[in-house]
Amino acid sequence: MAERLGVYLRLAAASVRATARRPAHLAARFLAAALIVTLEVAGVALLLDRFGSIGGWRPAEVVLLFGLGFTAQGLALVFGDTLEADEVSKLVRRGTFDQILTRPASPLGWVVASYVDTRFLGRSLAGAATVVWAADRARVAWTAGRAGLAVLAVACAAAIIFGVLLAAAGFTFVTVQGSEAVDVLIYGGQYLASYPMHIYGSALRFLFVWLVPIGLAIYVPTLGVLGREGPPGLPTWLAWLAAPVAAAFLAGGWLAWRAGIRHYVGTGS
Amino acid sequence: MRAYLALLGAGFHRQTTYRLALAAGLATAAFFGVVRTAVFFALYRERDQVAGLEVADTVTYVWILQGLFAVVWAPWFWELAEAIRSGEFAVELLRPGDPYLRLAAFDLGRSLSLLATRTVPVLAVAAPVLPLRLPGTAGGLALLAASLVLAAMVSFQLRFLFGATAFWTPDYRSMFLLVFPVLWLASGFVIPVDFFPAPLRALVDWSPLMPLVMAPVRVATGRSAALVVAGQVAWVLALWLAGRLVLAAASRRLVVHGG
Repeated sequence: MAERLGVYLRLAAASVRATARRPAHLAARFLAAALIVTLEVAGVALLLDRFGSIGGWRPAEVVLLFGLGFTAQGLALVFGDTLEADEVSKLVRRGTFDQILTRPASPLGWVVASYVDTRFLGRSLAGAATVVWAADRARVAWTAGRAGLAVLAVACAAAIIFGVLLAAAGFTFVTVQGSEAVDVLIYGGQYLASYPMHIYGSALRFLFVWLVPIGLAIYVPTLGVLGREGPPGLPTWLAWLAAPVAAAFLAGGWLAWRAGIRHYVGTGS
Repeated sequence: MRAYLALLGAGFHRQTTYRLALAAGLATAAFFGVVRTAVFFALYRERDQVAGLEVADTVTYVWILQGLFAVVWAPWFWELAEAIRSGEFAVELLRPGDPYLRLAAFDLGRSLSLLATRTVPVLAVAAPVLPLRLPGTAGGLALLAASLVLAAMVSFQLRFLFGATAFWTPDYRSMFLLVFPVLWLASGFVIPVDFFPAPLRALVDWSPLMPLVMAPVRVATGRSAALVVAGQVAWVLALWLAGRLVLAAASRRLVVHGG
């Protein structure tokens, strides 16, 4: 097992070194990833400042949700960007996946480790900076418990987004053609969970708290960080469920990936 | 003229063949539309008007934005730059007629297809169920249609200028990705530019980003519609001139590698 892990680490290190061969290029991509978060957050902050509050939350409190969401999304994309439909579609159409299947390693480990993309760390770092800035403006009194909740939110949300990517990749093995619909779950889910969940109707809330539990992962722990009571049906103590639910979702994504590979037929190229 | 019309028709048909992409695109547009509508409803719960906009104006903004998204960020965004880098673009210069007009005609065909299959359905579904502010008269609707087509034309012209940077640098992607976040915010994809601080808003109002999203929104909500459309026409002319100049300069220095 330890030996196996060593192989994946070496693969990952190789892909990181490969991108580092063009430092200016890497720096530009990294900066671009950070900028997109910064400007999106700036836009949201401008909007919320005009209104003063949304669903009883102050602007800084909402921006905190955005920061946690972007941090998690960046982490998930560092490892999972190749699982996006377009990329998997390329692996299948070019026959690259045939070669991957013949190697003495798990296909998932191989795909993830050989395509680690560090530029998405720019998104995570800008997200983390947003969290720190927003927490300061929202006057969050950081304690070990509250910091733990913020870390829990990021870890669980990243696991869920990675789970969505896995399931989408499994689906792409069957359809071969990529689909924009996955974006709804990856980017749409994160966008939705960046506003307080209680502003949405019951259908959207149920869907993104229990089925694609990104709301449970981000919103509920944030209630604890801000020292707020949750709305009816979403008490603060549900944060304890975030980790097991995220783990279950990730496992579901992995099963979908496995099922997809079982249906995999090479394209003969 | 007939050749350009044929190219326009070819572009239209080419785009309508992507059925699965169309369904996925509509689903994505609808989802983001619903979430953004919920956000604006929640924001306006305790107030009637902010920065001169009412909730109906912002909801109209949301759905026009969702409908126009694929038109402005065309799925073939990198096509021109890639053709220039690979050298395929040289063939374009050898073909009869005017290269800029030919590209524009083909692009407009594809964009019209997107307007017909994405923008119109999105607005047609949202209008009856949500308090959208759309023109009620035939004249107003004609102005809105003109404004949407002009948005598509400006989108082509801006994409052409970006693609043309590939004549000068092979690393056009990094450069664009660095500018993209600013364009994203300034063209009104994150929030309506009406909510920007006054100086910033004035800057955007007089920039070529204005015709892309905010102009059709203002025409729809009936804010000096004729004037806004006239502004879009002015930008189409200015960008046409810029495009011609860039193309002329680039053709002079184009070096094609390989045989």
